[in-house]
Amino acid sequence: MASTLKPVDTLPPDLPSADVHLPGVKTYHQVNVDIRSTLHPTKAWFGALSIAILCLLVGITAWMYQIYMGLGVAGYEPPVMWGVYIVSFVFWVGIGHAGTLISAILYLFRAGFRTTIYRTAEAMTVFAVMTAGLFPILHLGRPWKFFWLIPYPNWRLIWPQFKSPLIWDVFAILTYLTISTTFLFLGLVPDIAALRDAETHPIRKRIYAVLSLGWRNSDQEWRHFSRAYLFLAALSTPLVLSVHSVVSFDFAMSLVPGWHTTIFAPYFVAGAIFSGIGMVFTILIPLRRWFGLKRYVTINDLDAAAKMCLLTSLVVGLAYLTEFWVAWYSGNEVEQSYFVARVFGQWWWAAWIMLTCNVILPLSLFVQRLRRNTTWLFILSLFINLGMWYERFVIVIPGLSHEFEPWQWTRYSPSAVDWSILLGSFGWFFMWFLLFCRQLPAVPIAEIKEIVPARLRALGKHTEPEYTLPELEG
Amino acid sequence: MSDTSAPPSGVRRREFLKVLGATGAATAAIGCTSSHVEKLIPYLVQPDNDNTVPGVSTYFATTCRECAASCGVLAEARDGRTFKLEGNPEHPLNRGALCARGQAAVQGLLNPDRYRGPRMRRGNAWANITWDEAIALLAQKLAGVQGAASVFLNRHESGAFPAFLDQWLSAHGLAPHLSYDPLLDGAVVQANLQSYGVAWPAIDFTAARLIVSFGADFLETWGASVPQQLSFADARARGAQAPRFVYIGPRRSLTGLNADTWIPCAPGSELAIARALVGNGSLDDVATQSGAPADALRALRSELESASPALFLSGANVRNAFELALAVNDLNRSHGSVGSALLPDRAIAAFEGASRDADVIDALDRMRRGQVALLFVRGVNPVHTLPAAAGVADALAKVPFKVSFSSYPDATSELCDLILPDNHPLESWGIAQPLAGEMSLQQPAMRPLFDTRATGDVLIDVAHRTAASSRFGMTSYRDWIIEQYPGGVRAFTAALEKGVAPGRVAGRMSAPRSTTAAAAATPAITPLAEGEFHLVVYPHPALGEGSGANKPWLQEMPDPVSKVSWQSWIEVHPTVAKRLDIVPGSVLRVETSAGHVDAPAFVYPGIRPDTVAIALGRGHTAYGRFAEGIGINPLTAVPVALHPGAGVLALSGAHAQVHTVDAFDELVTTEGSARQHDRGIAQVVPVTALLSREERSRLPQTVANVRMPQAENAPAEGGEEEEEYPGKPDTDFLPGLRSAVAADAQGELVSKNAKDRGMYALDHWSGMAKRRWAMTIDLARCTGCSACITACYAENNVPTVGAPYQSTRTPGYQGRPGANILRGREMTWMRVERYYEGNVEDSSFEARFVPMLCQHCGNAPCEPVCPVYATYHSPDGLNVQVYNRCVGTRYCSNNCPYKVRYFNWFGFGEANRTQYAWPEPLHLQLNPDVNVRGKGVMEKCTFCVQRIREAESRARLEGREVQPDEFTTSCAQACPSRAIIFGDAASPDWTVSHVAADERGYHVFPELNTYTAVVYLKKIVHPAPPEAPSGA
Repeated sequence: MASTLKPVDTLPPDLPSADVHLPGVKTYHQVNVDIRSTLHPTKAWFGALSIAILCLLVGITAWMYQIYMGLGVAGYEPPVMWGVYIVSFVFWVGIGHAGTLISAILYLFRAGFRTTIYRTAEAMTVFAVMTAGLFPILHLGRPWKFFWLIPYPNWRLIWPQFKSPLIWDVFAILTYLTISTTFLFLGLVPDIAALRDAETHPIRKRIYAVLSLGWRNSDQEWRHFSRAYLFLAALSTPLVLSVHSVVSFDFAMSLVPGWHTTIFAPYFVAGAIFSGIGMVFTILIPLRRWFGLKRYVTINDLDAAAKMCLLTSLVVGLAYLTEFWVAWYSGNEVEQSYFVARVFGQWWWAAWIMLTCNVILPLSLFVQRLRRNTTWLFILSLFINLGMWYERFVIVIPGLSHEFEPWQWTRYSPSAVDWSILLGSFGWFFMWFLLFCRQLPAVPIAEIKEIVPARLRALGKHTEPEYTLPELEG
Repeated sequence: MSDTSAPPSGVRRREFLKVLGATGAATAAIGCTSSHVEKLIPYLVQPDNDNTVPGVSTYFATTCRECAASCGVLAEARDGRTFKLEGNPEHPLNRGALCARGQAAVQGLLNPDRYRGPRMRRGNAWANITWDEAIALLAQKLAGVQGAASVFLNRHESGAFPAFLDQWLSAHGLAPHLSYDPLLDGAVVQANLQSYGVAWPAIDFTAARLIVSFGADFLETWGASVPQQLSFADARARGAQAPRFVYIGPRRSLTGLNADTWIPCAPGSELAIARALVGNGSLDDVATQSGAPADALRALRSELESASPALFLSGANVRNAFELALAVNDLNRSHGSVGSALLPDRAIAAFEGASRDADVIDALDRMRRGQVALLFVRGVNPVHTLPAAAGVADALAKVPFKVSFSSYPDATSELCDLILPDNHPLESWGIAQPLAGEMSLQQPAMRPLFDTRATGDVLIDVAHRTAASSRFGMTSYRDWIIEQYPGGVRAFTAALEKGVAPGRVAGRMSAPRSTTAAAAATPAITPLAEGEFHLVVYPHPALGEGSGANKPWLQEMPDPVSKVSWQSWIEVHPTVAKRLDIVPGSVLRVETSAGHVDAPAFVYPGIRPDTVAIALGRGHTAYGRFAEGIGINPLTAVPVALHPGAGVLALSGAHAQVHTVDAFDELVTTEGSARQHDRGIAQVVPVTALLSREERSRLPQTVANVRMPQAENAPAEGGEEEEEYPGKPDTDFLPGLRSAVAADAQGELVSKNAKDRGMYALDHWSGMAKRRWAMTIDLARCTGCSACITACYAENNVPTVGAPYQSTRTPGYQGRPGANILRGREMTWMRVERYYEGNVEDSSFEARFVPMLCQHCGNAPCEPVCPVYATYHSPDGLNVQVYNRCVGTRYCSNNCPYKVRYFNWFGFGEANRTQYAWPEPLHLQLNPDVNVRGKGVMEKCTFCVQRIREAESRARLEGREVQPDEFTTSCAQACPSRAIIFGDAASPDWTVSHVAADERGYHVFPELNTYTAVVYLKKIVHPAPPEAPSGA
């Protein structure tokens, strides 16, 4: 809990108080000003957005080429029938898990450090799920027929095969997208109202007015709001566990050695949270520096998130070991042969990228100094993203390439089209995130005000702050 | 339609489909040039006297001319186009089977690179001319040429045409033609003529107790492969009575891989071994000289003492092959196989009358000396099929006027001056003489596709313009053969229905002389110098000497031994690979006194460490888009070694240097792991472990009698309960829809409690649920020849994917021949896996072939994972793929443990795409009963569902049940070893239900509870007899 942490930021609070979560934040007005100041486009932002859109265009071009030519332009090498696209699908769904975990589960657990990072994580979730949802479509042989996976009434009376885990996926992903979007939007309503009140531009003001649903800051509205928020948090909590469990069923329900295993659901959920926190670091650490939000997203918060990262890394590492143990203990020679090929044979390089990035490097987080070193956290988060992508690679591809039928053992190497579409997915994701972070507050306004201590709230009300803030480190 | 209507009951498919008597009118089939296929207008008046019914196939009994053996085929034509060849069951030679090369004849017929009309050389360019001009030109050139100043090089064939040709030549005062067959084992023919007076005695493997082959690849290109394979499989399936098979040679060919024992010996030393087996010379000396293991030779000799008759065959293409063949004939005589296993009185007449290689070489010499003014080439490509050292191209350059009758541009026709493209054999009339007393008739199955003309017709037209016109009063070659036919036109027309007739057509006026070569000295075999290798050159099992190379099915069919397609390779032993520090695919240079070739290495345990081997058939400089620039021709490095007496060219046995080249050319192979890792895919049973007769009688006689597990059955009393759970895979075959566990994908339709089970109800009017289509594959019969693969391509519109033009978009391998196969994207619905067993470091390793196709699991893993129901289980036990419904998630393939589902990565079936597999007019081959799949769709073996439904529909129209064994799948139909049997396993009347109950039956991966509909019968291994001295 944040209150038990010592305030270790270099900024000495003006008012000595051990329970101050955000020692650098004094007044409501300061919160308004600081956060609103992030909501304007800059040259650097335009530059970043252009790069993201450029990447997206590369991906779109590659996809159009692939639709026209056929999936053969991707790197598939039967029987490796699923490749980079499914790897990336699982990767992005996994990224999408940290947001809801932080905003919903940690909300229910009243974990104080969530307040400052949850908005970013939640937006990341929505965009990651939007990205993930593209991959099952663009990996189809006939993507224009993707709607056949959706149960809709038709005169042919053909329904989807409800026994197929891919149909469960459709439901899981769409449900998750709906709930997490709703959750994100609901949390934004008071903040948008605050923006509306301060906005002078008539069109923007009008848009904010519509989006804020007429929020007037009344007690009744707050009561309804907090009940709704709690309700959605409760609704989202099982989703955090179920969605990635369902995704894991794509693999676990099949016969493929290395896929057909009961630990996949918890293993995938832990991996998803781990990768999601990694992505949160990747996004939040530059964001708090460029947006000047260091006194909001504090080192303490990052430290706490890093501990969660460490925990999930250990869970994931345990899952890796369990897989080996199960392969050995099962006595199933097909499974054993596959695991040997995975780690010491054909796929050793991918497996060791995975083990290094996901298990070995995160052990550094046992050291407090490194947990509080934002540079290290950022570098580590890149390794975690890489490692988690390779974790999915190691799950999806070696199993297919080393199956029951030795005559059909094969290799796999992604093609330029695969990589372009993966790049495009990052472009798509960051395009949405960049558009979001300059239009809507990436750090919650209302909830930060909640944790500004009451005795400070009146300070400087209707006046300018009476202090100057020294630069922060980290 | 009176010909095709069938009696109302008791009709079998064969009879119903019995070949139509197609007279001349029948061949005036409807227009079939592809440019006219635009409108769907049904015929109101049939253009050919009611023989064409839209949508109904017409079958023409004709003769396959892909090799000299002349098997009988039924050519299936619909709406005027011929699209499928099947063996003619009435034919005495092939009895309904057909090899891959025969299947692929339709791709020769519909080849996009055929000459489309006559042309002549004007300067350096080709000019299209009319037939009138061409014939006038030829008649003019004939004037003034006499006797041996003209050479007519014809592809060797039996029957009427050689006689006609000699008659025509003599009418013009020209020398008799040369009948050239690069695939024919001339040494054996010469020796047989000397020993038995016939060129090729029929071989009955079933009569032998031991088979010893000295390099005779009788399952591949040696002799008449289809009848040999039928007989061999019959023999080998006899369990304890089956002959053991010993293969002696430097390299294990496909035939060698089917042997129980391989005795590796240096090329050329077979003769010493054969003589030692007769008793001349000590075995130890021979072992040292030949490099063969002395133990194995001793074991063979002691085995020979008890095994009688023992059949010996020789086929080594080495310098002393003629002496070897004579020695082998002596062995056959002394071991009692002449008259039992080897039948000179039932000679295969197809190989009679071929010229000796020496005659061809001699003609080349005369050309080189400028003594030849006029050269005719028909059906052969000597520039490609003779060693480059023979200088064919140079010799041709000395001939002032060269006429080619080739159907395709090839290395020889490119050098000619006048091209008079012959009709394809499937467009031609003819009579072949496969057996001494049986004629095989050849009739057009299709109107000529292009502006081509049968050579016989052209020659008659030429004769009409020359002094010989009085001797050729007939108007066409067809008239000529009817004149020759015993019984005249009436008998001929009647015989066309069956395609075969007893009798003999008049042969050549002057058959080539046979040899009395005994006096000539045996060519010496020189030992290898340090660092040298023997070079073995052998015909490719599918491409032959090269004539098959323009047929994409044959290029794509993985070589049965190396599993390489669309590429040449050099076989080297693993120890050589280690010594040279190379991996498979490293480019090697093989250099002899005659020249050198570069090709990637294929590391093969079935070759001697002092030998390298290269297949013929590839390396064409001109032979169309499917052949040009693919692979190498090893004949570039083969010196001309003519046997002094027998006049036979020896291609193998040259000494070669092998160097590494700093290059890598990845092997286009379909092989993943060559070992089955104890997964029980290819199982064997020692012959000694087979049950005795009375033990076997206690087995259930059919699978239909195997008790079906019932979920509601009370468990058996006693401690047996755990043995009785439903669907225990090793005791219960045929669960299918009758099993409690097989209902998985179907939902409530197959649930016992469902109110309406629809077609899945046993009492549904369709009767589908009563059936369970199933297949047995007898690995004791299967030789791995891969004819089934080609048959499947032909029947099911499976695209080939390896042509260079199809490879332009394949990541990593753009433009390489076979790029899609390098990426594992072959589309073949059926593959033949070749697993090594035992120690591949020595010669004792065993090879097992497993045809692998969709197993039509009763409890199919692919079905429940498809999100859109594109794959489901039909009431009659088929695992069905609905192409139109497939969106291409490919989950089904991931979940298939047999990996028999194939995905359309590109638009292989879409005419406007670069990867299109059937460039015009190849698309005419497409089976109209089967659709062509577009890109992005999964496909797989359907058990030829179109044939099932056709049979069912016909039975229903005729008001009867489907008769047992009324029809079969394409692979089973073609299989030259009759290893595949298809049918309804739920009915005791079908053969398959008896065969599936065999003690050798097993399922692949039974532990996965897939309940497959394919039952494999274990291969029978025949260990060396115990009295033989052991190797220790």
